[in-house]
Amino acid sequence: MACTIVNPSGSDVKDKKGETMSGRVIVITSGKGGVGKTTTNANIGTALARAGKKVVMIDTDLGLRNLDLLLGLENRIVYTIVDVVEERCKLKQALVKDKKNPNLCLLAAAQTRDKTAVTEEQLKNICEELKKDFDFILVDCPAGIEQGFQNAVAGASEAIVVTTPEMSAVRDADRIIGLLEAREEIKSYKLLLNRVRPNLIKSNDMMSVDDVVEILSAQLIGIIPEDTGIITSTNKGEPIVNDEKSLAGQAYNNVAKRIMGEDVPFLNLEEDNSVVAKVKRFFSHLIGKEQ
Amino acid sequence: MKDIFTDLYNKVLGFFRQTDKKEDNAKDIACNRLRVVLMQDRTNLTPELMEKMRQELIDLLSKYVEMDKEALELNFEQEGNQMALMLSIPVLRAKDEAEIERELAKEQAEKESREAENSGEKSEESEDAVQDNGVIEIVEETPTGEIVSTEETVTECIEIVEPENEKEKVE
Repeated sequence: MACTIVNPSGSDVKDKKGETMSGRVIVITSGKGGVGKTTTNANIGTALARAGKKVVMIDTDLGLRNLDLLLGLENRIVYTIVDVVEERCKLKQALVKDKKNPNLCLLAAAQTRDKTAVTEEQLKNICEELKKDFDFILVDCPAGIEQGFQNAVAGASEAIVVTTPEMSAVRDADRIIGLLEAREEIKSYKLLLNRVRPNLIKSNDMMSVDDVVEILSAQLIGIIPEDTGIITSTNKGEPIVNDEKSLAGQAYNNVAKRIMGEDVPFLNLEEDNSVVAKVKRFFSHLIGKEQ
Repeated sequence: MKDIFTDLYNKVLGFFRQTDKKEDNAKDIACNRLRVVLMQDRTNLTPELMEKMRQELIDLLSKYVEMDKEALELNFEQEGNQMALMLSIPVLRAKDEAEIERELAKEQAEKESREAENSGEKSEESEDAVQDNGVIEIVEETPTGEIVSTEETVTECIEIVEPENEKEKVE
């Protein structure tokens, strides 16, 4: 399945010192909470930065910020997005550089304010400003479909809808997709299926990737397996893409590649390990055709 | 070697299970429930409206057949890419012509008296037209085509496809 996010301004991006850098603003949203928006944001952002892109992540979850924790930057935050819009500091001053990767920045949310502290218009302006200096602006959207969501989506032209193969998450994703389709400025949206558990799918206890894709009739940009490594990586404040052995890390890296326009096949999580399947794979290998 | 046998065993067992009960596993239940729920979410048809639609269908159909009103089922289902409205009507007895005519006449009379109350005069022709359109009128309130019945022996089967959907199929 080929999967690329169309880059409407692709040709405009000029690397370093280029006069007209015009970054892509991608909002990462889900509707339901706890499906892995922030984890996805941290990992895709880190993966893109590792690939040499200039990336800034905006946490728009005012009052419930967490992106700083996942990146291990919680102690470095001086100014937040609210300080920027209330003009207590310049936008550049509020950007927190990542510990490892100088290409990666975070614009943190204020922890002491609520969703009304920033307006759609202000967020749009911030995104426009950041587009000049960065290749990618990833907007971490709060759960829900209220003002916080509307704000986060305001400046974006692309969206990644995160969901898990659970009924409630899929239902909420469907709502979000409906809302995204109604917004003209969102040119494309892609589905990221998180916390996939191949064993449960195999035993027919969980909806498969195909089921979810069919039900939501959306294009897929990534399949992330459930991985206990996510817990440890969150605890350490280090995104799992830094761990090359981790399956979830690889999957997130692949998502980043697809965002950059590469055609990367999806990890085969539902690999059938029966003898028949192994023999079949062996022969299809011989003919040199992918099954 | 042991692998091969357990695999074979599972295959055989799986085959019988599959033919036995196809939609009993958690995954299929989830898929089906989700499809129904999403259809409701997308169409904005509230449970109250569904109930109203059900009631109107009962009123309409009971002119022609005697049925188990409690057991009448009206549900959205998905068949491939097509959204379908499934109507299942357990029929107790089909009414005979005389009964049907009596019902229609009664309704006609009610309508006439109502119209007379409302505006006094109206040509009989237009009233007849309204009457004839009765079936379609109700179906048009539903967002999508097909009304199909699935129950066996004692079930009335009506199939109405909205012109819009037919067009889609042709394309």
